[in-house]
Amino acid sequence: MRTQVFTQKQTLKTFGFLVTMLALFAFNPSYGQTRANTETTSTERTVKGVISNEKGPLKDVNVTQQGTRHGTTTNENGEFTFPVKLKTGDVLLISYLGYETQKFEIKEDTTFIKLVLTEDMIEMIGALDSNKPYKSKRKN
Amino acid sequence: MKTFPYIFFLFVVGQSYSQISDFEHIDFKTADSIALSYNKEELTNLPELSYKLTAHLNTDVERLRAIYRWVCANIANDYSLYLKNKRKRQRFKDDSLKFVAWNNDFRKTIFKKLLKNQRTICTGYAYLVKELAELANIECEIVQGYGRVSTTDIENLNLPNHSWNAVKLDGKWYLCDPTWASGIPDKATNRFTFQYNDGFFLTEPELFAVNHFPVDERWWLLEDNIPTFDTFLSAPVIYGQAYENLALHNAPMQMHHDIKKHGKVAFQYELKGSAKTEHIQLVLDNGFDTWKIDPTSISINDTSLSFEHQFNNIGFYDVHFYLEDDLIATYTVKVSN
Repeated sequence: MRTQVFTQKQTLKTFGFLVTMLALFAFNPSYGQTRANTETTSTERTVKGVISNEKGPLKDVNVTQQGTRHGTTTNENGEFTFPVKLKTGDVLLISYLGYETQKFEIKEDTTFIKLVLTEDMIEMIGALDSNKPYKSKRKN
Repeated sequence: MKTFPYIFFLFVVGQSYSQISDFEHIDFKTADSIALSYNKEELTNLPELSYKLTAHLNTDVERLRAIYRWVCANIANDYSLYLKNKRKRQRFKDDSLKFVAWNNDFRKTIFKKLLKNQRTICTGYAYLVKELAELANIECEIVQGYGRVSTTDIENLNLPNHSWNAVKLDGKWYLCDPTWASGIPDKATNRFTFQYNDGFFLTEPELFAVNHFPVDERWWLLEDNIPTFDTFLSAPVIYGQAYENLALHNAPMQMHHDIKKHGKVAFQYELKGSAKTEHIQLVLDNGFDTWKIDPTSISINDTSLSFEHQFNNIGFYDVHFYLEDDLIATYTVKVSN
């Protein structure tokens, strides 16, 4: 009799524990992400590419996955191999100081990216502030 | 019925306080300390830098703030680059081919310098704020235009000389000037010195308009009273400290005043904080001597400051307005018989 009561209590405890865990999973945002990933696992692939400007391959270009810290830079030949596998719909940001940042969306058949960056055609100007008191020009 | 104009006035004034005060409930300490914790970070990886500066902040205004503070604290102004560019732009201003060629060349130099030495001129500051903001999904634009300070030679101000930013937060556009916020040239050596000025962050467009003239007129962010280039050139000279102390510069709207002996000039400002009568000081300069005087009458009503000064001696005066030790603005007054 005593053992039975004990088991009942135990069952109740186990049940409570399960409910708590379930609740935790349900509200954990990473759970949703796991599910999204499993849908597309089959299409995950390594993406490589080459980045250049109008003159030729560009070294040290940043290639980053939008919304993450995943990223790499191009080598002397402008080439990169993205360090994590990517799936259709992921967006890569290709940026280099002085050039227009380009967004590249991974498509069904993307495994190799070839991009030419264009310069930011901005006019360079600059005036400094000054705390020198104004002084009128006087004739004499 | 008499109260109607008053209520209307309150409404209009209330409208004009629409910038930094939109975010009064936000404490920028977290954003500022994140920015400072990444001091000395390099510009080789902008996506990574933008991520580091913004990932742990919850609102766009804080994300922008961290980016802006970082740029202001880490990018130095290159005075010699500025002078060289100014000279070339003047020389080629009537030869459009040479002008464009010079700019294309210079742009490459600028970006190399920025990357290697973290030194630049205005457009470099505005460019970095824009790039880092956009990487954090904040809409941001470079505004090209004319900036006017005490040393600007307005007789030869015929080409845009300054860049700043417009940024969209919660669906509304705001203005900031990272170059002028970062520091000023040392008076004695002309070398750039870092000295952060908080007044250029999400400044009231009316105050900004006193010495910023955008080429594209949508960046005034003013609903009416949009200045012409002539009114801009004839506006008073205001200093960096004006941005720290003033919410609005209401009067006089003109730099120069021609008055008769015993005539008066009236001044009116909206302050960010409060002030005491003894803090209001004018410094007069007639070309030979410089002396301090108290205005003839002063009236302070909460944050609203008005004063008048009567000029009893003929002459031509540079009139500097100081609030405690801060130089706010300069006007010129010609007193004749």
